[in-house]
Amino acid sequence: MKLLPTIWNRRELLWNLAVRELKQRYRGSVLGFLWTLLTPLFMAVIYLFFLRLLAGRGVPMEEIIIGVFAWQFTVQCTQAGTTCVLGSANLVKKVAFPLEILPLSQVLANTISYLLSLVVQFPLLMFLLSRSNQHLAMTWPIFFLWVAWQTLFNLGLTSFVGALNVFYRDTQHLVGLALSAWFFLSPVMYNMEFALNLAAQWPLAADLLYANPMTVILNGYRAALLPESAAAYPPAAWIGLLLVPVMFILGVVVYRRRQHLFADML
Amino acid sequence: MNAIEAVGLGKRYYRRGGQRATTLLETLTGFGRARREEFWCLREANFAIPAGRTVGVIGPNGSGKSSLLGLAAGTITPTEGHVRTQGRISSLLELGAGFHPELSGRENVYLNAALLGIPREDVKKKFDQIVDFADLREFIDMPVKHYSSGMYVRLGFSIAVEVDPDILLIDEVLAVGDIAFQLKCLDRIRQFQRRGKTILFVSHALQTVEEFCHEAFLIHGGRLVERGEPSEVILKYIRRYMGEGGGLFTQEFGTRAVEFGNVRLLNAAGEETGIFETGGALTIEIPYVAHRRIEKPVFGFSLKTGNGMYIYGSNTQIQQVAVPPLEGAGVVRLDFAPLRLMHGNYFLSLSIHSWDHAEQFHRREDWWPFGVRNTGEDLGLFKLDARWHCP
Repeated sequence: MKLLPTIWNRRELLWNLAVRELKQRYRGSVLGFLWTLLTPLFMAVIYLFFLRLLAGRGVPMEEIIIGVFAWQFTVQCTQAGTTCVLGSANLVKKVAFPLEILPLSQVLANTISYLLSLVVQFPLLMFLLSRSNQHLAMTWPIFFLWVAWQTLFNLGLTSFVGALNVFYRDTQHLVGLALSAWFFLSPVMYNMEFALNLAAQWPLAADLLYANPMTVILNGYRAALLPESAAAYPPAAWIGLLLVPVMFILGVVVYRRRQHLFADML
Repeated sequence: MNAIEAVGLGKRYYRRGGQRATTLLETLTGFGRARREEFWCLREANFAIPAGRTVGVIGPNGSGKSSLLGLAAGTITPTEGHVRTQGRISSLLELGAGFHPELSGRENVYLNAALLGIPREDVKKKFDQIVDFADLREFIDMPVKHYSSGMYVRLGFSIAVEVDPDILLIDEVLAVGDIAFQLKCLDRIRQFQRRGKTILFVSHALQTVEEFCHEAFLIHGGRLVERGEPSEVILKYIRRYMGEGGGLFTQEFGTRAVEFGNVRLLNAAGEETGIFETGGALTIEIPYVAHRRIEKPVFGFSLKTGNGMYIYGSNTQIQQVAVPPLEGAGVVRLDFAPLRLMHGNYFLSLSIHSWDHAEQFHRREDWWPFGVRNTGEDLGLFKLDARWHCP
């Protein structure tokens, strides 16, 4: 069974499930979609404040905002991934449909949510930049190439944890821990300048930081939008860049190899 | 052309350890693996169902009926062999399986149809029909979490049948909703049959299987042990697995001060048989052994259909038959002539109790199954004395 034609044939189902996901997320809450904006904005303020307090050194607000919104995209996909098959046990057991749709619809829903949040993020960035008489960098369209790259990465990750969690329920707990650790190991609330200053004595630490796919993606976002930010590509960064398709292929292959057993395990 | 074709179809599961989600630790240490024990819930199923046929699958609980349906629907992957289906399948393995509680009935109709692979345009056209069939017009914009269970399944059934499938898979879901809705469901099933759709349906309602199906499959212990004319397969099923010795659904009570011997069901010629003819004779020969002298005993009987519907029951007390005191062994006979039962499968229960009902001596519930064949063309459950008077 070819993957792409199958998904294309069932695009209505994919869309329906993604819409269902978004609807149920906001139904019954007064602020609804606003939460998608309020949560990262609030986090950005907290990070900014504590970083100044603890490290005594600041990171521009614009960089933190870009980092937090993008980080939230991956976190939400991954967390949705752990439940994407388990939470649809009834569907998997009782209805025949291409199971690849499950992680795909979660990623689609979160991508839509992320893109919608940009409607606020971009004006906010423009406002923050305007205070120092700056504008968004002319390279801003490249931002969307990075969105595509991150989406690919998220899809691999979501499929991987989704399949794994069917067989080992430990996955959901490990994912929670891993995400907390990963957050501090990625330049979300700090930027590269901040991290490289700290890592000056340990060159290996800098290499490891660059080999993190999220580092490459976040740097890419910032370089695309902010006039004073530029992404560096030491050899280790290419590893981080290439880990994206590796994660995508690994996730999708593992998921598809194992999906015939899902109904038996649920 | 075959709508469903299975070749060497089998599904293996593991009891304990193996199939449930294990913890990582168990896998790493290998602990827990040793306990796993395989069992086949279905094995070597070979069959072909031509398009337009209705096939009923019967068998005791846990015999593999639902697995067969799941394999045909494609939700379960076979361990060996394969199953091929031709045409669009709508499966009623569980009504409203894809419903999301927070979404309204309307949104769930579209979501559920998308799961079944129905284009949105088609659903739009049929939307009113779906809602009308489910009779939920006033509630269609309400979240389904507020639906009653009856409303829930009505909407599920309605979507599954209105989307015009080529093959309909039904797992014991026809007994949903109130009587009016059940009749509507059965009527819709008949419509499907007239339009040449293929139906594979699992049920414990033997009467319904006999009434609706062209063919019946009997599954026991994961094997397709019998297939053919529904009435014959059903009779084999109830004689082999239910009733005397079968141990399914039968119950036995009593102090055994008087005990039944080897009860025999005889036809008009006095031969022991399992099948009787409408309008013919059925004689039940009831040997008994009394272990003490019983004054004024009461013999009773009752008849139920294959679906468990109570048809008729009476006893010697109600019918004011004088029964002499019981002492030692003896035989009581119960005659039905003419036999007014129509085509179908039935269960006979017998009891002996004291005059004041204070003591139940022996009672065997649903113990003796038998079949009745009607050679006439009249229909129904019971032959009534109907007379026409014309001018």
